[in-house]
Amino acid sequence: MVPVLLIDDDTELSKLLEEYLQSEQFDLHAAHDGPGGLEKALANHYSAVILDVMLPGMSGLDVLKQLRQKSAVPVLMLTARGSELDRILGLELGADDYLPKPFNPRELVARLRAILRRASTGGTTAATQPVHLAGVDLHPDSRSVTCNGKPIALTGAEFDLLYSFLRSPGKIISREDLTQAALGRPMSPMDRSIDVHVSNLRRKLGPYDGEQERIKAIRGSGYVYLLPGEQQ
Amino acid sequence: MKYRSLFLKIFFCFWLAAAAMIGTLNLMLWFSFAQDPNPERRRGALGEALNLYAESAVQVYDSEGPQAFEQYVNRSLKEAGTEIELFDGDGKALTTPTAAEAASVAAEIKGTNQHVSHVTALGRITWGRPVTAPSGRVYIFVTRLRQPYVFRGLPPLGIALSILAAGVISYLLALYLTSPVKKLKSVVQSFAEGNLEARVAPQLGSRHDELADLGREFDHMAERIAALISSQKRLLADISHELRSPLARLTVALELARKSTTGKGEAALDRIEMESERVNALVGQLLALTRLESGAERVPPQMIALEELLEEVIDDANYEAKPLHKDVKVLQLAPCRVRGSSELLRSGIENVIRNAIRYTAEGTAIEVSLTTRLDNAVITVRDHGPGVPESELQHIFEPFYRVGEARERSSGGVGLGLSIADRTIKLHGGTIRAENVNGGLLITIGLPLTTAPATAHPVAERMPVA
Repeated sequence: MVPVLLIDDDTELSKLLEEYLQSEQFDLHAAHDGPGGLEKALANHYSAVILDVMLPGMSGLDVLKQLRQKSAVPVLMLTARGSELDRILGLELGADDYLPKPFNPRELVARLRAILRRASTGGTTAATQPVHLAGVDLHPDSRSVTCNGKPIALTGAEFDLLYSFLRSPGKIISREDLTQAALGRPMSPMDRSIDVHVSNLRRKLGPYDGEQERIKAIRGSGYVYLLPGEQQ
Repeated sequence: MKYRSLFLKIFFCFWLAAAAMIGTLNLMLWFSFAQDPNPERRRGALGEALNLYAESAVQVYDSEGPQAFEQYVNRSLKEAGTEIELFDGDGKALTTPTAAEAASVAAEIKGTNQHVSHVTALGRITWGRPVTAPSGRVYIFVTRLRQPYVFRGLPPLGIALSILAAGVISYLLALYLTSPVKKLKSVVQSFAEGNLEARVAPQLGSRHDELADLGREFDHMAERIAALISSQKRLLADISHELRSPLARLTVALELARKSTTGKGEAALDRIEMESERVNALVGQLLALTRLESGAERVPPQMIALEELLEEVIDDANYEAKPLHKDVKVLQLAPCRVRGSSELLRSGIENVIRNAIRYTAEGTAIEVSLTTRLDNAVITVRDHGPGVPESELQHIFEPFYRVGEARERSSGGVGLGLSIADRTIKLHGGTIRAENVNGGLLITIGLPLTTAPATAHPVAERMPVA
């Protein structure tokens, strides 16, 4: 049984989910408000946290912000459908993935498995050779990244994204492939979370000296990681 | 710069009026003097009076003696403020005291037969003439009197200076009148741009005129509108939450039921799932439409690269269309910059393309193009479907309007997509219309182009729309 924490004020939904996830080999614990959820998440060792954005007392985004200061536990965010801002903010604050509410529980399980798989394989990636490229050092073992000597704090998804880019610099990688690599699941229609992750990564790395962006969007194809002076 | 033009209007109107008044007044004065045919006559009349005055004064002295004369002089000084001095033919003063001017005038007259007049500062005239008394003695009569003041208009430099002064006063007046309008305008503008906290009162200071009242009335109105909008937004969020919470529970309960159901029950559960998804989509679209119509949604002045946005939408649409054996083809993509919300525009255009995918026949392609025409970006979306009866074309943008009963449920969708597109495009100041073309429906969207300033970077953020 995989321990998972659900922070959601809907107690009835929590009960139903607990029952459903039980059958999928998840041990669901529930908290029904922000402060309580944060306390539980920090006190116990969960494999993942499912976090609703709309919470009484303390917004889900605040919970996420505080949680991220102390813990790297994978977070799956539940957002209100149509509220783009919540989702983008959530991903920027370090959520690993999101699911608009109401969601199909099968989808929830699939997403949970994806982030768990990534979290577990992340530490034991076969190719553990560090990558050095144009000022960026990436260490798969410790999952740490430095840019021009300065350490950069990346979320799991951003790390995997950067790893994909650094393994094939100068080549266009499709958004589908990047989604698979960074989020561990296939891209779904109208799904733009990968773009938010890419833009976060771009912001955290910063441009090269000559104002040149490291990661460029190629319309209709995907993204490419450019080397200094390279024009695409 | 409408404020400027009001400012200029007030400024120039007041200035012109003042200048015209100064000019007219001076012109009138000038004319009244210029028209007098004999300016000497007026002086002549005064001279005549002074002659008589001199003769009677001399007669009093000559025939009644210095004492009577003294009385005469005092009386005329008291009654008319006129000083009289008398000298003998040699210029020797016969009365006291003697003003220096009077003596010099007498000296000038001595030995001549001319009258002399001197105008001194403060408009005093010293006038004198020799008078021969009936006794044959010669006297010199000198009087000092106040010249009657006559305003003959300003000299040209004076006119210029007074017009200039009128200009300065008009400028200050115009500034005083229009500065609150300017403040009011900036507040109203900021309010219209969505800053619901914008109020006029703090800018007015201690002003208490009609303009200040107008500002206060605006503040009352702004207060009410802000309250209405925030309650509307809260209501939308509440509805969204209240309708979706049971839906969320329903979907989980459904999956639980699925786990313990086999065979016949599955079909019913599939149906329940489909219907609950439909309700969910409907709630989402209704909320989107309500938000658009309530004015709670506002258009940010964000610069959008329309061709990039369209390309992304088409990519996504193809993702959906391919499994249905349909295709979305791009005919042309001209670079276009428009202002607005990329998120809203994306959802608007997406709804039009999705609608086309829904109705185009299997195995056909939807054709999308983006061109510019005059000051507009023009997007056309053409499908190869059954089209819409001419009589119903105008209704397809109305909420829940469906063409043809038969296609109702099988076509999927809830009948709000085109309404959302319509409201979104109109919110961006654009137009949308539908027409039948040979074997299909053509939807044309026009959006006003914006001329990109050289410094601005077009924004084509990749923002998902749920």
